[in-house]
Amino acid sequence: MLLLKTERDRLLRPLQAVSGIVDKRHTLPILSNVLLERTDGRLTLLATDIELQIQTIAEQTDASEPVALTVSARKFQDILRALPEGEVALQAEDKRLLIRSGKSRFTLQTLPAADYPRMSASTEVAVTVSLAQRHLRRLIGLVQYAMALQDIRYYLNGMLMVVRAGEFRLVATDGHRLAYASMPLPGVSEEIDIILPRKAVLELARLLADNDDPVQLRLGATQAQFNFGSIEFITKLIDGKFPDYDRVIPVGHDRVFALARTTLQAALLRAAILTNERFRGVRMVLSAGTLKLVSNNAEQEEAEELIDVDYHWEPMDIGFNVNYLIDMLSNVAVEMVEISLKDSGSSALFSFPGQDDFKYVVMPMRI
Amino acid sequence: MPIRVLPELLISQIAAGEVVERPASVVKELLENSLDADATQVSIQLEEGGVRRIRIADDGCGIERDELRLALTRHATSKIASLDDLERVASMGFRGEALAAVAAVARVRLTSRTRSARQAYAVHTEQGGDPSEVVPAALAQGTVVEVADLYFNTPARRKFLKSTATEYGHCEEAVRRIALARADVALDLSHDGRQRLRLAAGHETQRLHALLGADFAEHALPVSAQAGPFRLEGRVLPAPMATARQAAQYVFVNGRFVRDRLIAHALRQAYADVLHASRQPGYVLYLDVPPELVDVNVHPAKTEVRFRQPQDIHRLLQQAVERALARTLVASPDRPQSAPFARYAESPPSQAVQLGLGVSQPRAAYFASQTIAKAWRDMPSGEGERAHAAPAASIPDAEQALTRVSAELRRDAEGDLPPLGYALAQLHGIYILAQNAAGLIVVDMHAAHERILYEKLKQGQSGQFASQRLLLPVVLTAGPGEMATLETHAVALAELGFVLGRAGPEQIAVREVPALLAAADVPALLRALLADLAEFPASRVLEAHRDELLATMACHGAVRAHRSLSLPEMNALLREMERVERAGQCNHGRPTWVGWPLAELDRLFLRGR
Ligand SMILES: Nc1ncnc2c1ncn2[C@@H]1O[C@H](COP(=O)(O)OP(=O)(O)OP(=O)(O)O)[C@@H](O)[C@H]1O
Repeated sequence: MLLLKTERDRLLRPLQAVSGIVDKRHTLPILSNVLLERTDGRLTLLATDIELQIQTIAEQTDASEPVALTVSARKFQDILRALPEGEVALQAEDKRLLIRSGKSRFTLQTLPAADYPRMSASTEVAVTVSLAQRHLRRLIGLVQYAMALQDIRYYLNGMLMVVRAGEFRLVATDGHRLAYASMPLPGVSEEIDIILPRKAVLELARLLADNDDPVQLRLGATQAQFNFGSIEFITKLIDGKFPDYDRVIPVGHDRVFALARTTLQAALLRAAILTNERFRGVRMVLSAGTLKLVSNNAEQEEAEELIDVDYHWEPMDIGFNVNYLIDMLSNVAVEMVEISLKDSGSSALFSFPGQDDFKYVVMPMRI
Repeated sequence: MPIRVLPELLISQIAAGEVVERPASVVKELLENSLDADATQVSIQLEEGGVRRIRIADDGCGIERDELRLALTRHATSKIASLDDLERVASMGFRGEALAAVAAVARVRLTSRTRSARQAYAVHTEQGGDPSEVVPAALAQGTVVEVADLYFNTPARRKFLKSTATEYGHCEEAVRRIALARADVALDLSHDGRQRLRLAAGHETQRLHALLGADFAEHALPVSAQAGPFRLEGRVLPAPMATARQAAQYVFVNGRFVRDRLIAHALRQAYADVLHASRQPGYVLYLDVPPELVDVNVHPAKTEVRFRQPQDIHRLLQQAVERALARTLVASPDRPQSAPFARYAESPPSQAVQLGLGVSQPRAAYFASQTIAKAWRDMPSGEGERAHAAPAASIPDAEQALTRVSAELRRDAEGDLPPLGYALAQLHGIYILAQNAAGLIVVDMHAAHERILYEKLKQGQSGQFASQRLLLPVVLTAGPGEMATLETHAVALAELGFVLGRAGPEQIAVREVPALLAAADVPALLRALLADLAEFPASRVLEAHRDELLATMACHGAVRAHRSLSLPEMNALLREMERVERAGQCNHGRPTWVGWPLAELDRLFLRGR
């Protein structure tokens, strides 16, 4: 039975959107498949790794007879990618999927759709929010790099999403540094705190477009759903208590100065070359009018960078893991960053001058 | 020597050798007797690790006056009367062996009073193990067994005893095992006048808490399963909580602690997918088997059993434990979801594992492989063969040759490939495969990293360690012992780069960790460190035991197996290995890498013959 006849790219692009999460090494064979489904005159593609599920509408079709089958995501994608641009026809045939295009013809094995472990859209949605895709994408970019990776405090291996009356916040921390970003959210009065798993965050950032089209967030206690473009993105949530970010973000650090982001970034990148490759320590030595970056490694090689800054307090000397600073500086697209310090034993706060919608807290390192 | 019948005492002493291996075996046997006597409260007093004195008092049913002397006689028991009984024995004891065995190698005094008796009576053993006449004694109810001067008459055995601390440790472990099996019995234990355990009769969870610590009691997942007549209950620690240290591993069959290969195998299989071999699973499991389906009379200490239906038992254990562990793998509302997210490691962009073609090898590589081939040939006869037939057995040889070779290599290939070459891929999350001028290098990622960390920690030892302040202090629950160690060794810990504080009566907050170990599993690291420190006196601990402590830190700070590394990370590790002294061996003396020169590989493929 003919499933669909369409341009190759109109099938390949949605397939690439969903297949990113297919786990190649999964023990359940069906999870390396993608689900093709035709209902109500639409063909949809769906992939899941049990924690995360992405579905996308590939094409409207005239035929309305429902069909559902699953087929190896990787092979399907490889075939489409290798075909020349042009028309592709999909045909479902007795436990097989037939792909035809020009003079090429492929027969793929299928597994029954009924066995496919799909998640259903949750009925218990506590909060619904609508944002421009561009905004959510930018906000995720501002914090995502601070998520923990394989930490035993499982709730850190993800990103906190907070809806408060009038405000939308994202927070990520690995226990050494924390990134916080917020934006106004008019017209929403409900509140919710959820933790999105790391993989979902990265995948979401990859799929969101850089435009003003809306993304609908439907957030519940155990599941979050994001609808944007032709994509329906569902993820389970990390069940845990995220650290209290408010307590961690310092207030009243009174040594505050701003400097050009790229200047600092470039200087740190150079200093990083001669940091100890294990703990990557770099010292910021501050005295009236200058910030000196100093690093040295096990071989006693040394780097020194001078930057003019508007610093007019007692001299101080504070150490950081240079990666933590570079991470942040290369993920924020702003002109200037502001640094607020107290003393060499307290956290440092990075923000954008005159704004309070981004905060990055880093703990110092005693070098 | 002509054949002679052995004197009775000697026979008993030989038999005793099997039952009474060390003071702990006495403690175990006597405790089991108390349990068989339905005691609800047992107190154990030990002196000098139990060698000098063991006194066990219970409030059980007691022994009739007329049976007191019998109790000390071999093969006298009240617990079974026929072979039939033996086949369905439900009591802990059944041989009538234990007391007699103890009496053969120590001075024993037995005092007892049954519920109905108006008076308590006592016997003691004379020289030679024979029971004395029964004399009246004072005791409210139950039985008191006192064992003094263990092995006083068998000096050869006495020589095998370890230090007081070690023997005491074994005794305490024996008590713990019983305590875990019988939460309904109150137990207290003292050693040389100091109270060591005080366990009220109560619920199983309280026992776990008291004996295995809050972390275990709180995190262990319940297991409960039934298969036919077999029933399994207990708790298993989820894999992410497992540490490299010996964890709590207790299996009880019908209330009896056992060490059984079949059971161990089933558990290993259950953990196989979720736990790396270097980590120790933790579990407390209670298996109930109808007595007629298990033979406990296999081993003198009764720690081995034989099941009539081994496959059924194996299946039950493996499946039940797998199911319990899997509960962390699928999202369940009341459990942390650590495991699935641990899988989200960004894998390195998939790299084709394709060795460079021979023709594109730099010239130096060609010479190097000649050198290597020569080095293998130069080895004493047959070494080369063995090295490749059974790498594990001959690693030192291969190792030596390779060290020699790599020195030559460095000279030959100078300016070209580094000695350990460049990483190609990661193998099963455990090994790094790299290509150097000579051929293939296989690096044990964890061992290599551990070695590097250890050397670096040692280098930094004279000065202060760089340390990373934590934005979110790591809080861990600690037992009273750990809290005490923390206090005693506060100075040493600070010098090692830890800033710690009390966050509650049973909680430690870690505020600063050595920067070298900033990515480590901090609670596990600290626990291991505290466990080490607990064994050392506070004064001069760093002078005397620094290397041991640093080794523990290195082990826990090193990349965990199954952690994906990117190619640059792997290459960085290789470069560090080249720089670090003694990088060829991990702290435990195992090699951290082995090399397979092309010539060797060729030989595997029967090329060039
Ligand atoms: N604490 C006790 N309370 C009451 N009876 C006891 C106690 N200890 C020993 N007995 C009696 O003494 C007998 C002999 O004990 P013994 O420990 O020598 O052997 P057992 O426990 O029967 O068998 P096994 O050698 O397998 O432990 C027991 O069968 C029991 O009747």
